[in-house]
Amino acid sequence: MTQQTWDEVGGLLPHDEFRAASDAIVANIEQVIEGKTATVRLALAVLLAEGHLLIEDVPGVGKTKLAKALARSIDCSVRRIQFTPDLLPSDVTGVSVYNQETHDFEFRPGAVFANLVVGDEINRASPKTQSALLECMEERQVTVDGVTYQLQTPFMVIATQNPIEMEGTYPLPEAQRDRFTARIAMGYPDPIAELAMLDGHGAVDPLAALQPVSDAETVRRLIGHVRQVHVADAVKEYAVDLVTATRESPDLRLGASPRCTLQMLRTARAVAALDGRDYVLPDDLQVLAVPVLAHRLIPTADAQLARRTTDAIIADLVHRLPLPHDRKRSPYDNRPSGGNGRAAFEPRRP
Amino acid sequence: MIAHRNLGLVSAAATLLAAAPLSAIFERWTWLVQAVIAVAAVAAAAALARLGRTPTWAQILAMVGGLILALTWLFPSGDELLAVLPTPATFGHFAELIIGSGEDMRSRSVPVPDTDPLLFVTVLGVGAVAVLVDVLCVGLRRPALAGLPMLAIYSVPVAVHVESVPPVPFAIGAAGFLWLLVTDNVDRVRRFGRRFTGDGRDVDVWEASPLSAAGRRLAVVGLALAVLVPLAVPGMTAGLMSTLNSGAGAGFGGPGLGGSPGRVDLFAALSGRLNQSEVTDLLKVTTTEKEPFYLRFGVADDLRADGFRVRGPSGQRVTGDLPDPARRTLPGIERTRHRATVEVSRDLDMRLLPVYAEPVGFAELGNSWHYDPNLQVVFSNRENSRGRTYSFDYVRSVYTPQALRGAQPLPADLPLRAQQTVTPDVPEVAELVAELIRGKRTEYDKVRAIYDYFSEDNGFTYQLNTEQGTSGQQILDFLENKAGFCQQYAAALAWMVRNAGIPARVAFGFTNGNRRTGDTFTLTNRNLHAWTEVYFDQVGWVPFDATPTYGVPGSARSAWAPNTDAPEESTPQPGAADTPDESDPSAGPDRGPNRFEEGVDPGAIAGDGTPVRSTPVWPWFAALGVLAVLALLAVPALRRLALRRRRGRPAPTFRTVDAPDPDSTDTGQPVVVVGVDPDRARADAHAAWDELIDTLVDYRVRVDRTETPRSTAERLAGEPLRADAAAGTAVRLLCRAEERARYARDPLTGEPLPAALRTVRDALAGQADRRTRLMATVLPPSVLHRWRTAVADTSARLVASGGRLRYRLLRFSPRRLIANRTGR
Repeated sequence: MTQQTWDEVGGLLPHDEFRAASDAIVANIEQVIEGKTATVRLALAVLLAEGHLLIEDVPGVGKTKLAKALARSIDCSVRRIQFTPDLLPSDVTGVSVYNQETHDFEFRPGAVFANLVVGDEINRASPKTQSALLECMEERQVTVDGVTYQLQTPFMVIATQNPIEMEGTYPLPEAQRDRFTARIAMGYPDPIAELAMLDGHGAVDPLAALQPVSDAETVRRLIGHVRQVHVADAVKEYAVDLVTATRESPDLRLGASPRCTLQMLRTARAVAALDGRDYVLPDDLQVLAVPVLAHRLIPTADAQLARRTTDAIIADLVHRLPLPHDRKRSPYDNRPSGGNGRAAFEPRRP
Repeated sequence: MIAHRNLGLVSAAATLLAAAPLSAIFERWTWLVQAVIAVAAVAAAAALARLGRTPTWAQILAMVGGLILALTWLFPSGDELLAVLPTPATFGHFAELIIGSGEDMRSRSVPVPDTDPLLFVTVLGVGAVAVLVDVLCVGLRRPALAGLPMLAIYSVPVAVHVESVPPVPFAIGAAGFLWLLVTDNVDRVRRFGRRFTGDGRDVDVWEASPLSAAGRRLAVVGLALAVLVPLAVPGMTAGLMSTLNSGAGAGFGGPGLGGSPGRVDLFAALSGRLNQSEVTDLLKVTTTEKEPFYLRFGVADDLRADGFRVRGPSGQRVTGDLPDPARRTLPGIERTRHRATVEVSRDLDMRLLPVYAEPVGFAELGNSWHYDPNLQVVFSNRENSRGRTYSFDYVRSVYTPQALRGAQPLPADLPLRAQQTVTPDVPEVAELVAELIRGKRTEYDKVRAIYDYFSEDNGFTYQLNTEQGTSGQQILDFLENKAGFCQQYAAALAWMVRNAGIPARVAFGFTNGNRRTGDTFTLTNRNLHAWTEVYFDQVGWVPFDATPTYGVPGSARSAWAPNTDAPEESTPQPGAADTPDESDPSAGPDRGPNRFEEGVDPGAIAGDGTPVRSTPVWPWFAALGVLAVLALLAVPALRRLALRRRRGRPAPTFRTVDAPDPDSTDTGQPVVVVGVDPDRARADAHAAWDELIDTLVDYRVRVDRTETPRSTAERLAGEPLRADAAAGTAVRLLCRAEERARYARDPLTGEPLPAALRTVRDALAGQADRRTRLMATVLPPSVLHRWRTAVADTSARLVASGGRLRYRLLRFSPRRLIANRTGR
């Protein structure tokens, strides 16, 4: 199996082509998940940013359905692992078995050898088994018995889990959490969407009728497009400011890693591309801050006692972080710059 | 030990400070020198005794011994051993001095001259107090009790003076006592151990506490203010400077001024009153005399290097018999008796009463008023002239020049002559006098020669705004510049007459003014005057007024001292006023010389009686001020307008100059290609966005630094501009342009940003209330805010660099060097 290099995949797609391909995937998934456009787009953005997605919510809100719908919409290899307490690492990575005919050990690839890996209820497996995903998620390779096997592109792990307060769960280790680009919550559907769901899902499972609207090749080209989205220096600066703020926040015991910065910027590119832009805005980073940052951070004991979730802490940081003084003044512009980038002005309100 | 020595020195210094009120008793400062010597001897003896760790009684003995040694050295009887060791004869001498002091106290009134008995008693008292204070403070550690002997010193001038003593010496003494208490308390605290700050650092011996540093700074600022503020206010300058020039002295006329009549500095008061901008009526005088000479109230006859000083008057009660000059008759002197009534207004408050020369009888004046027959002034130590009405009889003497010529030179050993011809040594003046009186035989001719010298022919003019002092240096200046007012003329004439060996003095009083109704003259502060009086043997004090008449309303001239500026001798009648109705000196004197230069007849101007005034200039100044204020207020608005206009202009076009196209048919001019330059578009977008933000600030819409352009635009489109769809679109367009300019590869081009900006601005203006709109136009908050920020930044930078500089300089501070050397 030979894969194209990213140079061969090519750069920016024509605007319409990217739009058509991405919109098709989103629309397809929305046949199954009603009223969750933002979540669906974020999931797609993570795919296009070559990241991994963690869907965390209470049981029964459609986590697995989202994962499966995303997998089905793209015509590529999909494997599913049901994480159970007795699952073993070799079930995930693969195992060498003795072949009676060849009198040799033969590698049986595990569930991760696919383009999309759906890991259901990932925190019900023991940390030992969870750790089996560490190498493949970051390095996109699997090493078994000293032999390293490359994984395909695109490769994405979509994991679902219940909040750790639920019974029978093992919390994901920090290293594992850091490998997930984004954690999204499904949330309950609004009443109208729920009514529509009752109508649609009552008779037949729409998931079964879902047809792929894209393939691995297209996704690779979309990823190639996303890689070419322009990021201005000011936006990079803002990303670094944001990450630094988490490291310096008095509420947080563990800040975000440099890997996180990288993933956040990548995801921001994908979000910008999905929005039809070829440049990233600070707004993209602001939208992504909670999904990308929140699950990696550990609040201090004080913050926990004060019942401040990492989501709230991140939202607060974003709200307080000023935009960097982000002007590259034109050499022809001798006009004075204005109040932006200066001290905030709060007018008196009667 | 160090603390003990320190406290001992402080107690000695405090004793000397507490002795400050004694300055009210003595004429000179000899007592202070001697007291310092005695106190120093006491302190030295105490320090030596403590060095030997002797008990308290031995310290007392040592101090008393030190005091006796000092007294012996200061007041020797001639029989001492080695000039300081007393013998029985010394103590006999001391006893004589004490007895003599009792006589002196009875016979003399304050201020007393330096006599040995009085000085001895003073030094002995101060020394004894020093011993007591030292024992109480250092020996018994009860510094509060030391206040009692200090108070004893203070009680002396209180008992001697009829009036209360001035408050300043008491303040000095009190400060000394406080210093003593503070030193003792600091010492007490130190005994607990080392002083340290709250963070545990030792307090340096030399380190000033922040409180004391603040106190010092406050004191410096207060002092600077006290000196500079009066200088800045025109009306206060004259009084202050003249006080500085002629030493201590309160002015007259000011309400509530204490002090005896002798210590009033009449010169300072005179110039201060003449310089006053408003005219106040000071008194009304009614007399039976047709043309009276000046009303007088004070005399300065004590000439020292720093000028004429007023001496304290002394004399008998006005209710008693006053000397009547009419009994002494001389040929050529005509004496007539008149009666005058003076009504003093509430504005004239002094311890002297204005009277005509040589009063012979008073009515309606109580026992507390005294008459000094020598100075011919009426004074009181208790009461003042304010609101007082009184009448008196007086003798007017009219002299003929012949009678005065007949006066003989006074014998050189006459006390009056010895005293009243004292002049400081100013060779230039002496030379001038010698030249003027050369060949003059009689005293009167000499005086006349000097008197005539101050004439217009010699270039003398009247000018109120000159140095007001009368010291030697200032006399020279006056003789050089030849411009001055009555004070300088009177002092210079008196000085020069004295230089010629004839007694002379300066008299103060009122001219006859220019408001006369019948026999009543109304006199104001502008009529205050000074002139010269010369003593002639057998005749007495004869007035001479050398001041140019045009400067003095109501001035009078006499046969013996005619107007030097008049073309010919005036009427021989005394008191004939050459210029009966002179214009207001405030307008007149300064212009006096100019009138002649301009060729205007001075008589014509003087005759019409109305002061010549230029057109008032204050409306122009007011208008100018209003304009300046308006211009100042308009600055922010103009700045905002300029900013808006500059941002509204497109950025300069980027021009590419190509080489001449060979195919071109024209004359080979370079082809100018005007393209849409991305940098230019970017600059335009930024300018438009900056303008939008400033507009938001102006209209008091919230601006948030953490907001991206997009969220700002969405907020604006959502909330303030909801009603205006066009404005919403415009603000989104501005946002898109700014976003593209900031974050994208290519900026947005070809969009009508200025139009969009106008739309948004109009929409915001339409929404704002009237006050906000007005403020946005007149005082745009965006400009003010930016200025405020700039000022704050600059001051913060200045403070930071100042702190760094101070830290660097502190390395060279002597305090630090000393502190390091003590090795703490």
